[in-house]
Amino acid sequence: MSRPPVLGVNFGQSYASIAVIDKEGHPLCIANEEGERQIACAISYAGEEVYIGNGAKPHLVKNGKNTIMGFRNLLGHTYDEVDHTAILTAPLIPDSKTPAYTVDVLLPPTKAPTPAPRSAAPSGTATPNPGANEPVPSTKTLTVPEVTSLFLSTLLGSATDFLGVKPTQCVISAPTWFTPAQQEALKAAAEDAGMQVLQVLDEAAAVLVGYRVGLSEERKERGLLGQPEEGSAGEEEKRDKRVVVLDMGETSLSVSVVQVSEGEYTVLGRGRDDKLGGREFDDLLLKHFAKEFSKKTKVDLDLPCGENASAVDKRAEAKLRLAVEHTKRSLSASSGAATCAVESLKDGMDLSTAINRLRFDGLASGVYSKIGQKLVSVVESASLDLSQIDEVLLAGSSTLFPGLQSHLALLLPPTTPVTAAIDPSQVIAIGCALTALHLSELEDGLKVDDVLALAKEPVVCTSAPIGLVVPGSEELIKIISAGAPLPVRRRVAIPVEQGASQVGFELWEGKDEVKVEKVEKAPVEKDEDDEDDDYEEEDEEAKTAITVKTKALGGLQVDLKNGGNVILEIIVQRGGDIEARAWEEGRESEADKLA
Amino acid sequence: MASVETLPITLSALPSGWSKPAAAAPSAPSKLQVYPAGPSFISAARRQILQRSFAEDDEATAASRAAKANAVKNDGEENLYPGLGEEEESATVLASDPKEWKKQDHYAILGLGGLRYTASDDHIKVAHRRKVLRHHPDKKAGANSGTNDDAFFKCIQKAHETLTNTERRRQFDSVDWNIADDVPNPKTVPADQYCSTFAPIFAREARFSKVQPVPGFGDDNSSKKEVEGFYDFWYNFDSWRSFEWYDKEVNEGSDSRDDKRFTEKKNKSERARRKKEDNVRLRTLVDEVLASDPRIKRIKAEEKAARSAKKGGAATPSKMTPAEKKKAEDAKKAEEAKKAEEEKKAAEASKADREAAKKAKEAARKNLKKWKKSIATVITSSNYFLPEGTAAPPATIEKQLAELDMLVELLEPEQVKDLKEKVDAAGKGEPAKDAIVSAVKSVGDAGQGKFEQFA
Repeated sequence: MSRPPVLGVNFGQSYASIAVIDKEGHPLCIANEEGERQIACAISYAGEEVYIGNGAKPHLVKNGKNTIMGFRNLLGHTYDEVDHTAILTAPLIPDSKTPAYTVDVLLPPTKAPTPAPRSAAPSGTATPNPGANEPVPSTKTLTVPEVTSLFLSTLLGSATDFLGVKPTQCVISAPTWFTPAQQEALKAAAEDAGMQVLQVLDEAAAVLVGYRVGLSEERKERGLLGQPEEGSAGEEEKRDKRVVVLDMGETSLSVSVVQVSEGEYTVLGRGRDDKLGGREFDDLLLKHFAKEFSKKTKVDLDLPCGENASAVDKRAEAKLRLAVEHTKRSLSASSGAATCAVESLKDGMDLSTAINRLRFDGLASGVYSKIGQKLVSVVESASLDLSQIDEVLLAGSSTLFPGLQSHLALLLPPTTPVTAAIDPSQVIAIGCALTALHLSELEDGLKVDDVLALAKEPVVCTSAPIGLVVPGSEELIKIISAGAPLPVRRRVAIPVEQGASQVGFELWEGKDEVKVEKVEKAPVEKDEDDEDDDYEEEDEEAKTAITVKTKALGGLQVDLKNGGNVILEIIVQRGGDIEARAWEEGRESEADKLA
Repeated sequence: MASVETLPITLSALPSGWSKPAAAAPSAPSKLQVYPAGPSFISAARRQILQRSFAEDDEATAASRAAKANAVKNDGEENLYPGLGEEEESATVLASDPKEWKKQDHYAILGLGGLRYTASDDHIKVAHRRKVLRHHPDKKAGANSGTNDDAFFKCIQKAHETLTNTERRRQFDSVDWNIADDVPNPKTVPADQYCSTFAPIFAREARFSKVQPVPGFGDDNSSKKEVEGFYDFWYNFDSWRSFEWYDKEVNEGSDSRDDKRFTEKKNKSERARRKKEDNVRLRTLVDEVLASDPRIKRIKAEEKAARSAKKGGAATPSKMTPAEKKKAEDAKKAEEAKKAEEEKKAAEASKADREAAKKAKEAARKNLKKWKKSIATVITSSNYFLPEGTAAPPATIEKQLAELDMLVELLEPEQVKDLKEKVDAAGKGEPAKDAIVSAVKSVGDAGQGKFEQFA
């Protein structure tokens, strides 16, 4: 069966990646012609040549004024709205409404050289002026949407080369905080680049789709589950869970808290720190290496340097930044020491040094804890506690550091996996490609626009969890979580004790709470009477997520004949009305209904 | 489908005295942002857009899944190209000798005798599979035939091997002796059957073209461009036809390198000779067909007529006075009209059925010309509406006449007639011009900005 050629584009501020669907229908992040999966969002004009992608990055060193980087976040903004203090890259020009760059280019000679005289005999005319064939220096003004289109068209070209045909439909990612105007601008730019954009997808949503969160079987089959220290989350995924998507790119960090209800994703809270990114790590390494360089060579070098530093220092910074990029990658890739070598860093002196993981984690611990704080604050702003989070999904190249991953794992309960089963730098592109596939295979005459329009406005969701209570017990077993889009249906099987002829249970509405238990020390907050707990050694207080029952919704009673499981089905309709049925397996016609 | 999760509890028998709690409605739902992504979201959207309940949606998805599975089953090869390769083989085909594979008809063996070079790769694949199913030696194991049982199977395999290899297939197609290559003598083919005779012959030759598609032969009424394009293509024909098929086998057992080289050299020269022969054959064919193509004659005649008409009109234009020029032009026009009329008449004579309509049209056009001529005469005699005695500059004359042409084109024939009558009535000078100007105005928007002299 042939599949439509679709393309998923992760368009980040610093790097982009592209994914397609392979022959088996699985998404695959592909490399461009240069063999890079992470394609730098950079365009450099050098004379007659235009470099796009990773080839443009080295031009920052000597041709910074003609190199354009970091243009994505400017989309959909006017000049006045954006921060125009980019130091090294091409300057933004103030005299246009949409932000634009001006670069120096060499235009090819306008006039074709006059044809040479046919005869070899010396002619009376003077020798042709060699200057006439020289390219003409000129300037070129590019608006941000134009730059974006140009860049996206190269991505499209790479995908076309890989697939052999031009992808018909694309899904392109946008940051969680993009306004609708920015999304429109991005879509328009992508369409100018020749892409047929089905959807501009939130990066967090792309991560969730990439991991197939909530689709337990598929996720397990593809081996995308995380590895928690304890608990069963590594083998079996819960149908309803709370997930945090932590996306840390080159320049910013965004955290989204999402309620997953059987594969539908409801946003509970989100936050962003646009100063916290992979650049932070760069700066740390820069500082570290500069210090080491000064110590070794006695050449004064203080990096990162400010705006009014000398040209020599700026050049050194640009050079070292490029080198540090590699160091960073090898730090996250292998456990050995990562080298950093720059020839003629400053005053003709070379830098050649190495750093190991432990040292780096020591340097970066400040950044790690900042990330952790951001995570905690976003979760708390959604009025939740870290113990109520079932999984953390990582995205963005900067989350590749093992040190960061273990730091996050320490913050969270040991049952909560910090998942990086898909390469975090590829997961967004993969999610986009999957979404493009889903949208291109709509059935029953559904139209993409109609489907997407349904989620433009907030939708009705359950406001409180609904669950089952065994008669005489206080414990509520959650069946439907709060925040599940309506209508929602859940079916559960309940094993029955041998020999029982009649069973019954109650349905209750509940409330999510955190049970805090103090170990050894005096209680700080409320103390509940449950004692048994198994993780206490190092923790001073142990928190567990529980659901307490608040309001009875009714009860169900089933007569048993064969001793099979009891099946319970609960449907909450769009209006909030609840329907519930329970029956013994195989005897659905005799179901007991909620009155 | 609803997935069923097993709860980590076990229900025990009901405690006595338990009664169901009173039913109550759950808390009012809240509104939250949802990410429009993922298969589950699409399912939810489908339910909402199509107004389906969970149960209905389960049914619909199950039905569509079943239908899809069914479609996949039916889409298999069994139903592709019904009848292909399933006919009974004739005795001659069955008697093919696998050792004489150069002489066997590979297409006939696979049952593709009707398709030959037009057979697609899919045709060959399907036909081969069906033939193998019928003629596999295992199927005949119990039959009474002798040792030669798998001969036909070997032929099938050889045919498949040849036809699935593009190069080998072209070699075979190049020399396919089952395709007639006779060509009638173009000189003896009557003109009215010329195209219908040669179109299939060139279509047949076109199979050797490296450049596809090949322009068609066209029909009796093809334009000069089409005909010329056709012959141009065939004079620059790039053929992939080759004659390796006739190569003599190099004696593998022979140790003599010279022997081998000799055979190879001979084969090569033989191939080149045949290729050259074939090129000459095609060239001669095109030459002959071109020489007696009635369409070329027709086009030449038309061109000659056009040229002579041009010559008559364009003679010594610089020395003529404007009036003379005008006269000459009129004469030329009249001549042309006459010629056209004569030609038309001749055509009409042969095609009696179209007569009536054409005649009416022609009459109208003739009249139109007559009227226009008379208006032009008035214009000329009024010295192009310039003061008496001044010689009209050629530019003005040109413009006025061009505008008159344009005006006549824009007006309906009746209106032209009206105009002519008015102009005639007005006589010479300004009144005549006024009549023309009013006619220009009546044209309205269509003539906007096009008229200067008669504005």
